[in-house]
Amino acid sequence: MRVLFFAQLKDVTGCESAEIEAASLDSERLWRELLKKFPALAAHRAATRLARNWEYAGPNAIFASGDEIALIPPVSGG
Amino acid sequence: MKLPSFRPYQVVEIFMEIEVQLTKQPIAEKISPAQGGAAGAWLEFRGVVRGSEDEKDISALEYEAYAEMAWREIRRILESLALKWPCLAVKVVHRIGVIPVGETAIYASVAAAHRHEAIGLLAEFMDRLKQDVPIWKRRAMARDESGNEERNESRNERPARAGQRAHDAEASGQQAAKSADEARMEISSRCRPLPPERQPLPEAAGCILRETVRASEDMPPADRSTRDGYAVRLDDASQTFLVVDTLHAADWRPRGLQTGQAVRVATGASLPCQNLQVIMQEDVVRVENEIRIVRRGPDRNVSLRGEDMRAGAVVLETGARLDAGALALLATVGCVHPLVSPRLRVRHFTTGDEIVSPEIAPKAGQIRDSNSSLIRGLLRPFECDLIQGHLPENFDEAASRIGGLKVPGNPHLLLISGGASVGDKDFTRALLEWLGFEIVFSQVNARPGRPLIFGIHGSGVAFGLPGNPLSHFVCFHLAVAGALAALTGGPAPKWSRGRLAGKLEGEPSARETFWPARWAVSDEGTVRLHLLAWANSGNVACLASANALARIPAQCGRLDPSAIVEFLPVSAMPEKL
Repeated sequence: MRVLFFAQLKDVTGCESAEIEAASLDSERLWRELLKKFPALAAHRAATRLARNWEYAGPNAIFASGDEIALIPPVSGG
Repeated sequence: MKLPSFRPYQVVEIFMEIEVQLTKQPIAEKISPAQGGAAGAWLEFRGVVRGSEDEKDISALEYEAYAEMAWREIRRILESLALKWPCLAVKVVHRIGVIPVGETAIYASVAAAHRHEAIGLLAEFMDRLKQDVPIWKRRAMARDESGNEERNESRNERPARAGQRAHDAEASGQQAAKSADEARMEISSRCRPLPPERQPLPEAAGCILRETVRASEDMPPADRSTRDGYAVRLDDASQTFLVVDTLHAADWRPRGLQTGQAVRVATGASLPCQNLQVIMQEDVVRVENEIRIVRRGPDRNVSLRGEDMRAGAVVLETGARLDAGALALLATVGCVHPLVSPRLRVRHFTTGDEIVSPEIAPKAGQIRDSNSSLIRGLLRPFECDLIQGHLPENFDEAASRIGGLKVPGNPHLLLISGGASVGDKDFTRALLEWLGFEIVFSQVNARPGRPLIFGIHGSGVAFGLPGNPLSHFVCFHLAVAGALAALTGGPAPKWSRGRLAGKLEGEPSARETFWPARWAVSDEGTVRLHLLAWANSGNVACLASANALARIPAQCGRLDPSAIVEFLPVSAMPEKL
């Protein structure tokens, strides 16, 4: 599954997206995989929301291969 | 994508016209309101960029959006608010990219039967937008004292502005050739470091380190003897000692020493406690378990705990290339799975029907392919996975052969030799565009190597290189090497200065000229630079002895011997010039 990074998280990870090799994951395990690849994300986890297919994901969301997943840091539009 | 099975706000039948736009263009001054006799109130709001951000004067703000989601999220918010504030129509336009001070970042207009609903909806919408819509103020461009605009963040400062200028130039229909510096800056700002991965130490050789590695413990972890001899207390002035233990290099037996006690130690052995001196075995006479000091010098013969490095000290910084010494250091501190840039996947294609494989004797009109060998050699230090091939000089045939490369970021780097010059320019450019690449620039104001195409497709990077070998050599070091550094997070090519070994005489060129050159340090210790003659950009002979690229400014036809010239060292220094 493909995970997109935005705004300051691009600077933290040094990239715009990453591939996670898994068929399906809950948010806890998705985070675990992400932190394995990008330990520096740990400091941002509390303020970051997960989105799945262009919608904020609820606490029980399951992320499956083929989903577009995004890490949304605190927004500042308008 | 599966749709949510239940959307509560769609159950109630409310019809509100919703229009949402995200745009990079300035938002027009006048947007005509939704017409219709039902509206009794029409409310318009503009959020504009303020002249200061975090108490600093700024000239512009740059906004970033997750466009696919931002668009949907704005609609979702409006649909849910329509329940509470039944309005007739809403239009929201958010601008992204660089927005100068005073210009509109967000525009929202609401038409409603009565003002109450319109004001309520707008106020609540703006609050929700600022909480939930994935749009970010990315950075502020500061206004310095001289009134020039500068970026607050120094790292991307110049490249990004060069990019903006290019964007502006393209928008206004001009496609000016870039200077070599602008091209280099654009490349380093547009190529993003690839996601790093952990590799076992043997696999990481030659890769770029992407984490800061610290010592996990003091090195050495305890005081160590640097001699074969006898350890005694530093403050013990006895002449004879009783040997109470024997320690070899691998032994670890801490203990305190009393006055008159000594421990037999081998070179490299961890000493049993601190504040000891090792007396060399040559300087004592031993009889059974007792030693007598013959000579005691001032040297302690001890390498102290933490002398090489302290626990927590940085041993290697991110961006270091893992050469032999760096790998040994990582092994020393136990960093056996370092986080490194992935091995780059590179595809290289030659073009041109006149090209034949080097083992074939060329017929009239044919030439042997030297570019494949050149590119292979130039890429060697970067440890890439390289696949090479040849493309027919026919768009459809070529396209059908490389259609698999449409996936962005696969390969990381695509190089196409030839087909970049004016006559056949459209071939490589069209091919790259067909593959999905955004062409960032297609001309560089440099000689040789003017028609140089640079494209970006997701995390993937492509270059269309002018066909002749000398141009390949120049463009590789000028442009491709910079992209490789940016993709891997490695050090950018570093320019130096040296003195010309002979004089330069030639016609001044309107373009900056890059000469293959040979550099060496003279006996007196000065860096001398010898420009290698080339008659035309197809000249291969000079490349075999080139180890540098020298840069001669535009309009500069003559240079005296000893003139100072900028150059890029590209391989090891030769024995003599």
